[in-house]
Amino acid sequence: MRDSNRTWLIGTSISLAIIIIPILVAIPGKTPPVDDPHSKLSVVNPHVDHSSLMNDSLTTGQEVTRACLVCHPDAGNQVRHTSHYTWESDSVYSPDHDRMVTLGKKNAINNFCISIESNWPACTACHAGYGWKDAEYDFSKDENVDCLVCHDLSGGYKKSKEGLPEKGVDLLAAAKSVGSPNRENCGGCHFDGGGGNAVKHGDLDESLKYPSEYIDVHMGRYDFQCITCHRSTDHKIRGRASSVSVGNLNKDNQVLCTDCHAEKPHSDMRLNEHTETVACQTCHIPSMARKEATKINWDWSTAGQDRPENAHQYLKIKGSFVYEKNHAPEYIWYNGTTKRYLKGDIMDPTITTPFNLPNGNIKDREAKIWPFKVHYGKQVYDTKYNYFLLPKTVGEGGFWTEFDWDLALRLGAENSGLAYSGKYNFAPTSFYWATSHMVAPKEEALRCIDCHSDAGRLDWQQLGFDGDPITHGSRRLAGGVK
Amino acid sequence: MKMIRLKKSLLSGSLLLLMVIQSLTAKTPALHPLFKLLDKNGQNVLVTGKALSTMNTCGTCHDTEFISSHSQHADVGLSTLDHIEAAEKNYSWDMGKGYFAAWNPISYRYYSPEEDSFPDLNQAEWIMSQGFRHVGGGPAAFDAEGIPLDQNESSQTWDWKKSGVVEMNCFLCHMPNPDNTARIESLEKGHFQWANTATLLRTGIVEKRGSKFSWNQTAFTKNGEVKHEYFTPSDPSNANCAQCHGLIFTAGDEKKGLTSCDWNTATRGEIIGPHLINRTGLNLKDKEKISRSWDVHAERAVKCVDCHPSSNNPIYYRDSEEHRLEHLIFDARRIDVVDYLYRPSHEFSKVPDEAEDAEIIAGMRTCDACHDPNTAHDWLPYKDAHFQKVSCESCHIPKMYGPAYEQIDWTVLTTEKKGSHDCRGAEGDPKNIKSLIYGFEPVLLPRQDSKGQMKLTPYNLVSSWYWVYGDPQMPVRLTDLEKAFFEGDRYRPDILEVFDADHDNHISETELRLDKPEKERRVKENLEALGLTKLSIQGDVQPFKINHDVTNGKWALRECTDCHGDQSRVSMPVELARYIPGGVLPTFTGSLDLEQMGDLTVSNEGVLNYQVDVEGNALYIFGLSRVRWIDWAGILIVIGTIFGIFIHSSMRVYSARLRQKHTPKIKQVYMYTFYDRLWHWIQVMAIFLLLITGLIIHRPEMFSWFSFPYMVQVHNVLGFILFANAFLAVFYHLVSGEIKQYIPQPRGFFDQAVMQASYYLKGIFRGDGHPFEKTPEKKLNPLQQITYFGLLNILLPLQIITGVLIWSAQTWPQFAERLGGLPVLGPVHSLLAWLFATFIVLHMYLTTTGHKPLDGIRAMIIGWDIVDENISPDQAKPDTQNKEHE
Repeated sequence: MRDSNRTWLIGTSISLAIIIIPILVAIPGKTPPVDDPHSKLSVVNPHVDHSSLMNDSLTTGQEVTRACLVCHPDAGNQVRHTSHYTWESDSVYSPDHDRMVTLGKKNAINNFCISIESNWPACTACHAGYGWKDAEYDFSKDENVDCLVCHDLSGGYKKSKEGLPEKGVDLLAAAKSVGSPNRENCGGCHFDGGGGNAVKHGDLDESLKYPSEYIDVHMGRYDFQCITCHRSTDHKIRGRASSVSVGNLNKDNQVLCTDCHAEKPHSDMRLNEHTETVACQTCHIPSMARKEATKINWDWSTAGQDRPENAHQYLKIKGSFVYEKNHAPEYIWYNGTTKRYLKGDIMDPTITTPFNLPNGNIKDREAKIWPFKVHYGKQVYDTKYNYFLLPKTVGEGGFWTEFDWDLALRLGAENSGLAYSGKYNFAPTSFYWATSHMVAPKEEALRCIDCHSDAGRLDWQQLGFDGDPITHGSRRLAGGVK
Repeated sequence: MKMIRLKKSLLSGSLLLLMVIQSLTAKTPALHPLFKLLDKNGQNVLVTGKALSTMNTCGTCHDTEFISSHSQHADVGLSTLDHIEAAEKNYSWDMGKGYFAAWNPISYRYYSPEEDSFPDLNQAEWIMSQGFRHVGGGPAAFDAEGIPLDQNESSQTWDWKKSGVVEMNCFLCHMPNPDNTARIESLEKGHFQWANTATLLRTGIVEKRGSKFSWNQTAFTKNGEVKHEYFTPSDPSNANCAQCHGLIFTAGDEKKGLTSCDWNTATRGEIIGPHLINRTGLNLKDKEKISRSWDVHAERAVKCVDCHPSSNNPIYYRDSEEHRLEHLIFDARRIDVVDYLYRPSHEFSKVPDEAEDAEIIAGMRTCDACHDPNTAHDWLPYKDAHFQKVSCESCHIPKMYGPAYEQIDWTVLTTEKKGSHDCRGAEGDPKNIKSLIYGFEPVLLPRQDSKGQMKLTPYNLVSSWYWVYGDPQMPVRLTDLEKAFFEGDRYRPDILEVFDADHDNHISETELRLDKPEKERRVKENLEALGLTKLSIQGDVQPFKINHDVTNGKWALRECTDCHGDQSRVSMPVELARYIPGGVLPTFTGSLDLEQMGDLTVSNEGVLNYQVDVEGNALYIFGLSRVRWIDWAGILIVIGTIFGIFIHSSMRVYSARLRQKHTPKIKQVYMYTFYDRLWHWIQVMAIFLLLITGLIIHRPEMFSWFSFPYMVQVHNVLGFILFANAFLAVFYHLVSGEIKQYIPQPRGFFDQAVMQASYYLKGIFRGDGHPFEKTPEKKLNPLQQITYFGLLNILLPLQIITGVLIWSAQTWPQFAERLGGLPVLGPVHSLLAWLFATFIVLHMYLTTTGHKPLDGIRAMIIGWDIVDENISPDQAKPDTQNKEHE
């Protein structure tokens, strides 16, 4: 009988195998998706609860930092070597100037508030440190690192002049609350770039604190934090702003869509072919400033007049502005580097001077068509030396108190080291921000017709094509990239 | 001839010049050269101040006479006036074909020759009221004999010399922003010669003060030519076509609304636009979820003229399939571009059943002219079978998001003095922009395509009712209807009396229906009072084929149950009318044989529906199609068998209790070899699973938690397993000689069969032994032999053959067709399946008739059976009484 039991088992398994195997073989299973970005996300460990670890009464920012350093002795040193603290780059070779340069917020010139030089106390309210009030600031003290600006999760921490905590902030509560930086920590400075919410970037503003998926699909639909993509090691946070970067690309420092997404993630071949020429952002960020209008033009030359004021149109201290909501980007070839105007570079007042013109053209294999927020300005320059001047705006004798350009420029020259001839005028400038945030849900991405039509967004001829590539052929045919 | 040569050299000269300019500037120039605007006499309008003549202006370089005489858009049927066969007519009173010469119940108005006793529109009135959707030329410029209207002295009703005529309006289609409103205004006022000039009003070339047009000097060069910046002729854009062909959104006007259900979408609900539907300004139901574009071609920069090109455009020109030599894929000898620009045919490629002649079809870009469906449908089971029976549009136009007409009722007039209209896809007042639009699913009708293949194709069906009078019949003129219903702008009191049921001095939408004999009688009397005789109501249903608003795979129909199941859109009744005016059932017009294809039904509420007869159209849709009697018979046989078994087994149990138990001497015999058992159980599993999956495929709506396509594939694989197993078993039985066990021996077989039957009916209750000894050499009793003989020689082969044929209809449909196609094979396959199910039930029961109920099954599992030691066939006696029971 034991024999027949075994036969029974063997027979059953053979019969079942004969039935099941052909079914499994003949019917194809599901193929894994081409694009599986979720698998690339890093796992975030829960942060240690610090509420019981901070018992001292903490009255200054430096005291908090010292408390942090007790357990995190390396952290201060690490932060002091990041661009969030130094506000400048390593020394890099600038092919446009044929010399080694360093560039950062510390010494850059832009067409918003122009420069931090002479204006430290106000600008350094966003410095990840304490007490930067003039050119003599000592960058070597660990205790001057501001831990809370990034790690406070109480929501009550605020910085004011020189980066010091605002009066009345409950530092102990802030210190007890620390954790991984969330959108509000980063946004505290980055959403307010240019002096207020939504002013500077167009793709970064306070609507990203609690965004809907239509404002930002990553943050809205999946609740990404900034650091989900801007990953960090030793407090060095990845990311490369085109406004303060010069020289060649350091790819390790970049945040790319392809960190998580496949190079050619679309199911349609024609869309995948676009990825050789078009940045992901170009189609997937059809417009920026979805909820809050962003500044697209700033004319300093009208400042100082006594006329009705409105934060979005005219302020006596700053001049006249143009703001736009749902702003459509400008599309430009971009290989990741820019041609940077540095302090003292000679300019031509009769044309618009781009401060950071994106490098790239149709023949540049590295370049793709990118969306940019371009901010147009009109700002003060020296008519004799033909360079842009750095006025003192903040504080005693500054333009914002005296409304006297000549005085502001003379005071500014003392700090900047740029000679001022005593004659000034205003010249047009432009500033470029590659748009990478506010990625829309894929259903909202640009469609063929948005570019490939008479009323399309792209000026093909200006980009170097013979005409619309849908009829004239791609950049390969246009004599560019092989 | 000289003129032609001159024009051509002008053309090629300017082309050459343009090419030089292009190479110098490396920018696409405006292709068109500068030109003068000429009036009727060939003088520059700048000098004469007269209306421009497009024939003369564009005729400087192009053969405008050729163009206007090769344009259905201009002719609109004028040339067919009184040159039409009765068989070609949609309505017996049609005088020809086309917008001008054929009647249609949507616009209702019609052109009447001057000699008619009850004329509706004379030619001038036709231009004034219908010219808004006509490009000029044709009946707006010529009489039926082809003589220019302004040279015709005989007209009694209109001063053509004063009004001038409407020449074919090149600008309406060949400029970016034509002023169609001003053009229509000129037409409506009867200022025919100024209509084309009015089209230029937005350009700044011409201005209008009061009713006077004046030419703007600054828009012209010193030579009297129009400056480029004021006007450069262009290729027709979608917006140009939209002026007459319905609602087309272009990039940038996504927020445009739509007054629910007007002529723009009347026939098909088509709205063509590149942007996403959820960005539209329409008051569309669940709009935010619809993230597809209106039309995927528009979205992907394919324009109207890309699929409907000029029929002699050398780029698009293809010879029609019938005229093409089989070995010749491409004929390079084609019209030169200069010849084309000189004489571009303005016959545009159209779909076959609307095109007038085969040459026009040739250049038409139907789906298959650009797409190869084979490469993109690997996910689709039975893709070839689908392609043979289903048009691309059926799945790729799953839904119309614009409203379309459902019912037009001209038997009554609304306060706007129009027939009443009901729309599908919208609710509420059609005139109100706030009315909710929800769109509709097109009805799928079998239609013969250009290759003669019957394919399901999406349509809208529009039903219409109207009064006809006289002999031969004519539709009652709108003016007569107005007299029958109205006094001034108010309904006549006698009309109000019978229609206004609730006496509120207002005829509501539901009151304005000919649903009572007295209403019908009253209207009829009023019409008769006007001298109309032989009045009656007629109704018809017109099919409108839907080809636009195509979407891509993501939004196309791809759920099998959309068609395969009791909710199938193929068999869903489509509402034709919410009420039936005068109780007159409509006839069917158009190229489809709707009468044959389906049935009209009237619901209890008086709603008229149309339902496609799926099987009647040689379609067999799995999950939907079934032959009712086969399923009922099948169910009855199975249930009857189960019932019989219940009685039989109860009697067995009962009789066994009465009987003394005696234990017969038994022995174990090795009955079934390993292979016997293996093939048997494989067969069991395969058949069992085949029955289950088959049932799911047959009635998917009852098993909706199973995936239909997966079940189809599993069923196919199981079928082949069964086939292979049966084949190997036959081979084994043949080679081993075991086959003879299955072959009944003719001698004494009948008596033995009777003996076995009598055992089952009688002996088994008495506790008799089996009449035949079961031995490894003779396992089967006579009844089993005859059953298996039938099962294995008839049922199984037939089921395998029908199954394989159904499966092969995918690749080799000709074999299935030879046996009547799926409509025959399908029902046979299901009938056989029912018989299989019956066999299995009975077979399982009879295995329990051994010594102990489970002995039989045990034997088939382990091979050892238990048999009586000393039974032999001679011991059992034939019982003649039981013959009757057989």
